[in-house]
Amino acid sequence: MYVPYNGFHSMSQNSPEQEWKKGSAELLVLSLLESQPRHGYDISKLIHIRSGGVLQFHVTSLYPLLYRLEERGWIVGKWVEKPEQRRRRYYSLTVEGRKTLRSQRKSWREFAAAIGRVTGVENA
Amino acid sequence: MHDWKNIVRERLVDLRLQPAAEWQLAEEIGQHLEDKYRELLSGGVTEPEAYRQTVAELDSLYPLKASLERSAFIAKHEVAVGDTAKGNWLGDFVRDLRFCFRGMKKNPAFVLFVVLPLALGIGANTAVFTVFNTLIVNPLPVPASRQLAVVTMVGAKDKSNNGATLPISHPDLNDYQAKNETFASLAGYTAPQVVTLQSGGASERMFCELVTGNYFSTLRLNPALGRFFAPNEDSAPGAHPVAVLNYATWQGRFGGEKDIVGKQLTLDNVVLTVVGVASPKFIGINAIFGPDLWIPAAMAQQLFPSEMNGIFANRAKRLFIGVGRLRPSVTRAQADGDIGRIAISLASEYPEADAGHSIAVRPVSDVMFSSSSGTNRPFLFGTAALLAVVGIVLVIACSNVANLFLARSASRQQEIAVRLAIGASRPRLLRQLLAENIIFALLSGFAGMGLGYAAFRALWSKVIPPEVSANMIRPHMDALVLAYALAISVLTGFLFGTAPAIQASRASVVDALKEDSHAAGRSRRKVTFSKALLVGQVALSFLLLVGAALFLRSIGHAYEIDPGFQTRRLAVFLTNPGQAGYSEAETKNFYKEVRERVTNMPAVQSASWASNLPLWGRLAAGVQIEGRQPHSKSDTLTTILNTVDLNYFETAGVPIEQGRTFTEMDGENSTRVAIVNEKMAGDYWPNRNALGKRIQLPGETFMRQIVGISRTANYTSLGEPSQPCVYVPLAQHFFDAMTLYVRSQGAPEQILLPVQRQMRALGPHILINDVRTGRTIIDNGLFGPKIGVALLSVFGVLALGLASIGLYGAMAYSVAQRKREIGVRIALGAAPDSVMLLILKEGLTLVVSGMVIGFLAALMLGQLLSTMLFGVSASDPISAAAASAVLLIVALLACYFPGRWASRVDPLVALREG
Repeated sequence: MYVPYNGFHSMSQNSPEQEWKKGSAELLVLSLLESQPRHGYDISKLIHIRSGGVLQFHVTSLYPLLYRLEERGWIVGKWVEKPEQRRRRYYSLTVEGRKTLRSQRKSWREFAAAIGRVTGVENA
Repeated sequence: MHDWKNIVRERLVDLRLQPAAEWQLAEEIGQHLEDKYRELLSGGVTEPEAYRQTVAELDSLYPLKASLERSAFIAKHEVAVGDTAKGNWLGDFVRDLRFCFRGMKKNPAFVLFVVLPLALGIGANTAVFTVFNTLIVNPLPVPASRQLAVVTMVGAKDKSNNGATLPISHPDLNDYQAKNETFASLAGYTAPQVVTLQSGGASERMFCELVTGNYFSTLRLNPALGRFFAPNEDSAPGAHPVAVLNYATWQGRFGGEKDIVGKQLTLDNVVLTVVGVASPKFIGINAIFGPDLWIPAAMAQQLFPSEMNGIFANRAKRLFIGVGRLRPSVTRAQADGDIGRIAISLASEYPEADAGHSIAVRPVSDVMFSSSSGTNRPFLFGTAALLAVVGIVLVIACSNVANLFLARSASRQQEIAVRLAIGASRPRLLRQLLAENIIFALLSGFAGMGLGYAAFRALWSKVIPPEVSANMIRPHMDALVLAYALAISVLTGFLFGTAPAIQASRASVVDALKEDSHAAGRSRRKVTFSKALLVGQVALSFLLLVGAALFLRSIGHAYEIDPGFQTRRLAVFLTNPGQAGYSEAETKNFYKEVRERVTNMPAVQSASWASNLPLWGRLAAGVQIEGRQPHSKSDTLTTILNTVDLNYFETAGVPIEQGRTFTEMDGENSTRVAIVNEKMAGDYWPNRNALGKRIQLPGETFMRQIVGISRTANYTSLGEPSQPCVYVPLAQHFFDAMTLYVRSQGAPEQILLPVQRQMRALGPHILINDVRTGRTIIDNGLFGPKIGVALLSVFGVLALGLASIGLYGAMAYSVAQRKREIGVRIALGAAPDSVMLLILKEGLTLVVSGMVIGFLAALMLGQLLSTMLFGVSASDPISAAAASAVLLIVALLACYFPGRWASRVDPLVALREG
């Protein structure tokens, strides 16, 4: 299944589904940055690979998301120039971001468990 | 390889991002796309397919836009280059201002060359308008001054004295106060009288006005300190020795002492208590010259025992001008009728004093400028002429600056074309250019106001003799002056800015962009316009220079005018024995002894006394001629009246043409006699000998026989139209304030000290108020024209300076523009001299055309000036020649330097640069 992850703003009104997707997109990015700083392409590739090609971000959705998280102070971006590489902007988690990640993980787990209990689907 | 950043940027254009945001997005997303593209290629995807897949990432920009709109990435109201955001004028204006200030910072020299001439022009205008405002617009700083009217006697309307306003007597004033039904309040005041302030052994001359007790309340003034007179303080003669000080006198003479109220002053041996200080702007009803203090009229006989003897009863002693506030909804005509009715009854009641005079209610402006000339026309004319002159200076400054802007707009042609090409609309562009002009204009306006104020203060202190500075009108800047300065600043902004701005915004995009920067110079039309401006500048400066030259020559001639008395060996000494407390007998004795002793001094040829200072004649209204019936009520004969001692005519150099001079025989008890001048004899006894005819002076009950006819002289101003004059002998007409006339054998300066020593020896308590030589008398008489010369010279030089800077700038610019052409000429063998000649010819053509126009204008305007010129025709060739010479020399210099620069152009450099 291919879910084009156009994120939270493909419709003019925010439906519950969108809120859900929006939350999950934030969770995805924060989770990927937990272990180390990454640049945008890295993040989109990892999402693509780890989801087995199911989830995919377009640049036009990914970068606004990154900027929004940065504006909220959860992540911080920094231009880094490594030898023999082009300049890239690396994003890393802030302390605030780590806290948010923990609480979002918890809510997600509870949410998924609730869905599982209702639908009989095993916890993902 | 694809330039992904560029591809991203192209897609982002529609979003109108802030430049920094756009850069970051392009950088980051471009890098992302490049990474993806490489990976696809390395994964074996074909190039076109990899490109397609990568670009597909940008397919939907909507999420990006929707998200960024909520953040700071998209500039609020940003107008990229054009003016798509309509109606946001304020925002545009603020941006225009910022743009303008950045431009100014980059080019301070340009700012200086724009602001300095404009500031000079605006400053000159502000300074002159300050005077105009004080003199003409708001001469009487009194609340509701329109309700004020004056009650005066109107002089005969003959040629020399056109309906002058003359004083009325104190008892008559009392009757008008009591019987009128049209004035809410009617007060009276005298002309400033000289008094002597005695303090710590030193004497000092001061001026005081005697006023009725209701004077200040009628004017509705408030004191700056203390109080004004109480009604009872003007009731009993001599009972209330109080005084109100002029504000400037308080500040100047008394150093602004806070405890001045209650202090005592000794004036002419009378001790007065200061009760208050008048408000700062008020110097009396006369707008030009005011007193140092105001004293209740009831003190008149204490202060001036001889001069004002009997003024409260004698209706022929006319010293007061009535000033009153009309009742609401009463017109001046109604008041005139009312006062006229009372005047008729007074005339029938007191025929010997009041019959035959015409009393009128006149606007207060009739007495504001001078009691004798009657109108403010000379001042109005003078300040209006000055406003015109400084207006010309401002126009020159504007056209100068307009030329600078034209030159600059030429070099900005390309910038403007680019902006037009990428979508700026012309009105928007015009707005921006005009905003810039307004900034320049306002900057210049502020600088000009400061400059004008400083220049004005400096000029004023030079013009006004320090000893009367407290008495003179004090022009001040007020809201109206500031508004005027602001208005002309904005006006100049439009004047110098509009034409260049329109020119600039008219730029044809294609042409301007096609031309290279050097050829993008001025179009033919622009050159013509700027040349026209230069010609205009030269014409206007020529006009002012001719004016200045005319006045200068006129003053030279004025010293050659025959005033009708000798000035070369004349010295005069002003005294006032009556004020020193001398009795009439003592005073007469003093006069006699001084005349005899001084006459016998070695360097003195003759000496005599006279009541009038030369060119400072007193007028007497109501002289009657035996056997002559007045044609109408207003047909009152007003003449100059001079009380003179023996030998006066010989000393002053006034020849007796017929009959005899006064002799020792004309004593107190002999036949009363008088001498009249030729003007009077000719006017009233035409074709007949006036000798032996009889006249009666106002206030006298007897007839005087005319025994001599003197040559007509100038009595109040140099070169004046002839005035009738009556001389009476001192022995028959006592006067307690006289001037000693001394005719020296050599230079009059040498006798000044010895004569004063002699006078002090004979009258140790008598103050010698002033000492003048014939030369200084003429100098003072030329006060007005001298100010005219000074101002016209200053403004003429200013205009010349501005025009020459303009000429220099234009020529230098022209050389810079033609550098390539000049280079070619030199390369082809043109000699440096011929190149120089080329430039000089170009410049001088402009100058000469300007001079021709200026000369024609000078001829036309000269007619206006002719009344102010002495012995010089308005079309005086010498003045025109002098102005031409000055202008040509300056113009040659202004063209010489650009010419020399041109003749030294290195063809190699010029051609390579071109």
